[in-house]
Amino acid sequence: MTPEPPADDFEAGLRPLWARAQAGDEGAYRESLQRIAGRLRTFLRRRMQSLPDDVEDLVQETLLAIHLQRGTYDPEVPVDRWALAIARHKLIDLWRRRGRREALNDPLDALPEADQPAVWEELPVQRDLETLLARLPEAQQQAIALIKLEGLSVAEASQRTGVTASALKVRVHRGLKRLAELVRKA
Amino acid sequence: MKTSDLIDLLATGAGPSPRAVAMRRLVPVLVLGALASAAAALAVRGPIPATLFATPAPWVKLAYAGALAGGAAWLAARLGRPIARTSGPVRMLLLVVVAMVLLGTLTLLAAPAGERLETMLGHSWARCPINVLTLSLPALAGALWALRGLAPTRPRAAGLAAGLLAGALGALGYALSCTEVSPAFIAIWYSLGIGLAGTLGAALGPRILRW
Repeated sequence: MTPEPPADDFEAGLRPLWARAQAGDEGAYRESLQRIAGRLRTFLRRRMQSLPDDVEDLVQETLLAIHLQRGTYDPEVPVDRWALAIARHKLIDLWRRRGRREALNDPLDALPEADQPAVWEELPVQRDLETLLARLPEAQQQAIALIKLEGLSVAEASQRTGVTASALKVRVHRGLKRLAELVRKA
Repeated sequence: MKTSDLIDLLATGAGPSPRAVAMRRLVPVLVLGALASAAAALAVRGPIPATLFATPAPWVKLAYAGALAGGAAWLAARLGRPIARTSGPVRMLLLVVVAMVLLGTLTLLAAPAGERLETMLGHSWARCPINVLTLSLPALAGALWALRGLAPTRPRAAGLAAGLLAGALGALGYALSCTEVSPAFIAIWYSLGIGLAGTLGAALGPRILRW
């Protein structure tokens, strides 16, 4: 068993919200992702002082990974530790892609992660996800546009396109996976 | 796209989180990997004589390989998560290996002093680990594919788990075509073959398990 750090306010607030999100509550999921994004921004900004322009891009890449991998969440683990482990993985991956050899340096200041204030204001992005979305195969683009952007239910989207509901769900999932791959290569 | 728009996009119509993602990917690997290994062993080397199944030897091999495959699959499933709790599966794997080594040591001690070396080496010690490793390759490819679709943050450890899983499945198939009878042989050479597959997996992990 990994020893659990003392629960802090952030985790205490996030945890019940995340449990509802995992069970399918869309509003709770949106709110969870917003809170996590604030935490990610703090976490990554402290570790990317040499790459300040890439912070928000990595926040977005991490959010995409969190969404695609939400099935790997382990209820025994605090939500914020899980999310930050994904962020750390993405940060190491970014450095490797940039050819940096240095190890992941944790910031030297003594404040523990839990005491860092979340950063709510968004930073500018370098890479536009919309242009990457436009590079997805037509069918996946259409499924994402209808269900994720216009907000149609899967049943409505199925009626409008004549594609079965399960095929649409697969297209959305594959499309987001493909988007995550494009993000890594961009 | 702004981050708040991305969050909207992700949350809209998201539905509940998918369940049992690790098992859904690993169970087919277990089944197909075992089938591939068994089919290749039977096709290339042929089955052991049916009379051998009246002795404990093939059953010891199958039980050892099966238990290791179970433990390694459990470990791989855990290492497919960003924060992996590995102590349970690691303890199980150690327990299985220790039990096998104990059994091997006991049979060795029971053998007359002059025959001990022969008991350990059998007639195929030089081929056994390589055969186990070769038979594990399809399962290794499958296990690495399965883990790549999850979220391993310790790629070397996850690769090791994939390799051990594949090695155990290789040994499972090899047991059907291997006529060695001594538990001492199994404890040494089967373990070595499985360990080789684990090492290969650990070497490939950092290269393949990127996401």
